[in-house]
Amino acid sequence: MPYADLTRVVTEIDQRQMPRSHAEKYELKTIWYWYPLYCLGGISFVAFIVLTITGILLGFFYVPDGRLEISTTGDLTNPAWRSMLIIMYDIPFGFIIRGMHHWAAHIMIAAVFLHMCRVYFTGAYKKPRELNWLLGVVLLLLTLAFGYSGYLLPANNLSEGAANIGINMSRASPVIGDQLATLLFGDINTLSGVYILRFYWLHVFILPLIMIGLMVLHMALVWLQGVGEPH
Amino acid sequence: MEIEHVKEKILEGRPGFPREYGPQRRDHQPGIPLFPQEATRDLVVIFLLTGIMFFLSAFVTPLLGPARSPQLSELIVPDWYLLFSWGLLKVADILPQFVVGAGTPLKADFNAVFWGDLLTGIPIIALLLLPFLDRGREARPAKAPIRSAVGVAGIASIFTSSLYAIREVVAQRWVSPNGAPLIPDFTMKWFFIIPPVLAGVTSYIALRRLAYQPMRRWLVPYVGALTLIVLAQTAWVFLTPEGLGAAARPFLLEIAIGMAIVVGPLVVAMLSLIRDPESRTRKVSTTVGAFGLFGFLAYSVALPYVGPPNALGWVLSVLWPNMNTLVFMPLFGVLTVWLGTRRPYSAYEYLLNECYQCGKCHTVCPVTKVEDDALGGLNLVYNTFKKQHDGVPLWTCLACDACSAVCPLDIQYSDYILEERRKVQGRMAADGGTLE
Repeated sequence: MPYADLTRVVTEIDQRQMPRSHAEKYELKTIWYWYPLYCLGGISFVAFIVLTITGILLGFFYVPDGRLEISTTGDLTNPAWRSMLIIMYDIPFGFIIRGMHHWAAHIMIAAVFLHMCRVYFTGAYKKPRELNWLLGVVLLLLTLAFGYSGYLLPANNLSEGAANIGINMSRASPVIGDQLATLLFGDINTLSGVYILRFYWLHVFILPLIMIGLMVLHMALVWLQGVGEPH
Repeated sequence: MEIEHVKEKILEGRPGFPREYGPQRRDHQPGIPLFPQEATRDLVVIFLLTGIMFFLSAFVTPLLGPARSPQLSELIVPDWYLLFSWGLLKVADILPQFVVGAGTPLKADFNAVFWGDLLTGIPIIALLLLPFLDRGREARPAKAPIRSAVGVAGIASIFTSSLYAIREVVAQRWVSPNGAPLIPDFTMKWFFIIPPVLAGVTSYIALRRLAYQPMRRWLVPYVGALTLIVLAQTAWVFLTPEGLGAAARPFLLEIAIGMAIVVGPLVVAMLSLIRDPESRTRKVSTTVGAFGLFGFLAYSVALPYVGPPNALGWVLSVLWPNMNTLVFMPLFGVLTVWLGTRRPYSAYEYLLNECYQCGKCHTVCPVTKVEDDALGGLNLVYNTFKKQHDGVPLWTCLACDACSAVCPLDIQYSDYILEERRKVQGRMAADGGTLE
């Protein structure tokens, strides 16, 4: 008996309540040669799970305090940066867990961007999936916000430079510029270092809360509406 | 055959017109189940991804760097995914800057950073509006050439604006032999716009061509304009005093050869586009494109050995400051000629993949009415679609196009048949047979 018939017989006998796969649901016969690109959303979800696990582990040791201090050797330092040193060099597996968090973030952002390109080029945002596209755009922005807030946290020179750019961009908004910068960064410059605490709370609580809610909605809509393939 | 009647399902079931189209199909398959097949495949992807993360963490470790300090000494470059926004922020100084309501609490400073904020907002707003702007039915990228071309241009502009963000790094690392930055800011600003536009137009022409459209009407003005711009720029370089500069004059011969290798292919391809038939233009553009690419590679490898010292540096110091015109335009020009004249390699994918097997083509096909096994085995289109043609459907088709006339998806079946016959004939010639 050919393989294809075998699968049919099996599914006819086996009246499962299991969720059916995409290929099963739409009885796909032709496999489009761009199907490998249809796993990018899933890849970003896997990366998000890795980020959650490693992020929880990092959170046990990270100190969200960016206030400047002078070390005994006369160098400029701060508690957040010192806690990073402890994570990387003292905590068992700390180095690899931080590395995983770093690279999973890069992979997630790349996967989200490529996922958006796939949806765009295959016209998968069209009716009736407009709402899910809008959710996806918001999720993309949230992912970028995650990335930005994440690389402010080590309180190194990169963090300092990025925070300065962010503060300047916020302050450039007409009329409410300084208030906006104070709301987001806690101050209108980086001297006080309070931006570390603020972005820590955004990064570990507020953004994940919104993100998980929207991700569940996003995937539920895909589940209900089906994959928007061009066939 | 009354096509309208077939379209409205009036003839189905009458003598000679079957209700069941085509042979009894034996290859129905319910698809791949979630468990265990798809679950196993997903686990492979998940483990592979986690493995890649472990590998990168171990071998490309993210280092911490010194603690933050308000006195920044080095150049800070944000992560790659924010570079485009930073590039927009940097390019915004070309926009007018003014202050509204100075001295009042509602003072609004329209400075470069404000324009940068606005410019970053534009792509986000465009993304949010996209499903409401593009209401067309067509989903496949090759069948929606405008949307796909805009997408390609958008991706290209993300690259160019990201590169503009690190213009200081480019200026530091890429210098001409006399120490000046190789690519001036003026060129970098145009770089923002020109490559995305070139990539967009080229993709549009290539995708239209994929649908067997004759693209000459697009190719001649587009590639012609590119050729004129490139020739004008070349003339400016050689004929005006500021074009080459005094320091580069002693290397005139080397620079002229380098320019000829880069610009020449575009001119030849353009001439061929005007004079020759399409098939010849395609061959010419392939040849000159390969010549330009490998010729320049060979030239830049050989020049340090055979030419005067630093000659390659001076050749590049003429090419890169004019990279938008002298490098990208020839590149995209020749590529467009090639893409716009080529015969799409996979007619099968493009033409037949939309078929959902409604069977109207079989109903109207005149061949199936006279062949012995008309109502039994022979279904030209279906068998061809399943790649089950043992020569019968391919060579029995009359190319009368009755099937295309009733096809709800406008699949041009006879185009496909003719293309396949052409391929088979080519193969026969390659096997030692003769072309008929």
